[in-house]
Amino acid sequence: MKFELDAVYVEAATRTGALARRVIAALPPGVPVHEVADGRAAARALPGVADSFAAGKRRMVIMRRRARFLMGCPAAANEFACCGYLVMELASNCPMDCGYCFLQEFVADNPGFQVYANYPDAFAELDRIRASAERPIRIGTGELADSLACDSLTGISRDLIDYFARRDDLTLEFKTKTDEIENLLAIDPRGRTLVSWTLSPDRVYRSSELGTAAPAARIAAARRVLAAGYRVGFHLDPIIAYEGAAGDYAALLDELFASVPAARIDFFSLGGLRMTPGLRAAARRRFPRDPLLVGEEVLAPDGRYRAFAPLRMRLYAALNERIARERSATKVYLCMEGAGMYRRVLGEAAPTPAALGARLARGS
Amino acid sequence: MNPRASEDAIRAWAAARHLPESHLARWLALDAGDRAALLETAAALRMRAGRFIAAFDLIDEISVREAAPAQAILARAELRRILDGAGSAPGRASALLAALRVMRYPRLARTTDRIAREIAALGLPRGIRVSAPRELESDEMKIELAAHGGEELRELIEALARRAGDLARIAELAGGSGWTDDEV
Repeated sequence: MKFELDAVYVEAATRTGALARRVIAALPPGVPVHEVADGRAAARALPGVADSFAAGKRRMVIMRRRARFLMGCPAAANEFACCGYLVMELASNCPMDCGYCFLQEFVADNPGFQVYANYPDAFAELDRIRASAERPIRIGTGELADSLACDSLTGISRDLIDYFARRDDLTLEFKTKTDEIENLLAIDPRGRTLVSWTLSPDRVYRSSELGTAAPAARIAAARRVLAAGYRVGFHLDPIIAYEGAAGDYAALLDELFASVPAARIDFFSLGGLRMTPGLRAAARRRFPRDPLLVGEEVLAPDGRYRAFAPLRMRLYAALNERIARERSATKVYLCMEGAGMYRRVLGEAAPTPAALGARLARGS
Repeated sequence: MNPRASEDAIRAWAAARHLPESHLARWLALDAGDRAALLETAAALRMRAGRFIAAFDLIDEISVREAAPAQAILARAELRRILDGAGSAPGRASALLAALRVMRYPRLARTTDRIAREIAALGLPRGIRVSAPRELESDEMKIELAAHGGEELRELIEALARRAGDLARIAELAGGSGWTDDEV
């Protein structure tokens, strides 16, 4: 485990379950384990703590999930050209601490690092969705948590890979900023699991991505999982439009392609930094000296602060052109942008979420 | 001014203008030179609380972006000209805010300026108004026609049609095309 925990709270009903036993067995010495009746109470923000969001990251809560595990991507909206992503919520919050992270607002009231012990129930939900699905589906676990950050403790990845390996119409996506891939290397995913990395230039990593693996380490990890039979994708998201960003992102892509051939990459998603006013205020309060949080963002029609439109478009276009130079069939799509921006940048009408989702699931 | 007197002067200024406690706390947390420079600016321009807050936030963000202290920002020639210049205090306060916005959003300022110049260069008749979003928050260009009677409307539409190519080029600029990487 690379991340330090102050304590682990285990909901009584899950104490004898497989997940709790695995985590407790793998904890380093000195991390106290407390039993609680209801994990939801343990996950709430601690009163009187200056940065309860950061404190929550160090407090793992093993508990039952009361809601459904599967849902549409929370970023999806009619105003955006979306990718038809389904998310599977197996955890909430993340031990890393990125200055721009939307969790600072999204889980502010419940910042405890929740891991759901009844995650095998998600498989029944997946089976029900499969029964009515007409196209391949891509399902990710990295929306409210990093998919792999604590996998050496939880070992959840093994069960997931095993389930998806036996279902040709489903694709699992692990989304991560770590190089925590050891569990993956021991299993054959049979082409049904994709590992994606959020990639940022060194400047963004150093300024705004506390506790994450360095970009070079993420690329090296991608190369290793590719060799082990996994598909890979990359999210250039958030793209932060500081002066000199175009050159830094191009250099990052040069570094990536030198290590991972474009032809072996399933997709790139591009998404500009966007922050609701509430998120921006929370981020500025927590990281007041991070210059990347005070870029040339303006209040956009969707109510989020974004780099002004021509700047954003120029950056997207420059990155798309750099990827296109590799002459591969790698799919590029935009995240949380409207159909107009999609057409301007990618030169084609935005596909429907279902069509794009199926293409990303198939990997072709 | 010694630190105690400086703090007293800032508290007195803030109390007289009902400055929110959160901003007062941030102001007092600055180092002595920065907080004195802010007080001098606020007093010289006889700022109200709203304008002071806008200026303070802009200076704070410029300071973070450029790793420069507030007093060094306020000592820049383009701001000193405004602070030391003639004209009414409210007029100079407006000019100061405008100049700070250019420093805070340099590429946005260059981009909006170029689009405005391109629109002005079209020489369109009165009655036609072409505008880009104020902060280029989207790429939506608007064209408004104000005509009295059919003949005037026809003339305006014909004038627009003659400039269709130029208008399309400007709309592309607002959407991010036609720029070099140095410009945006």
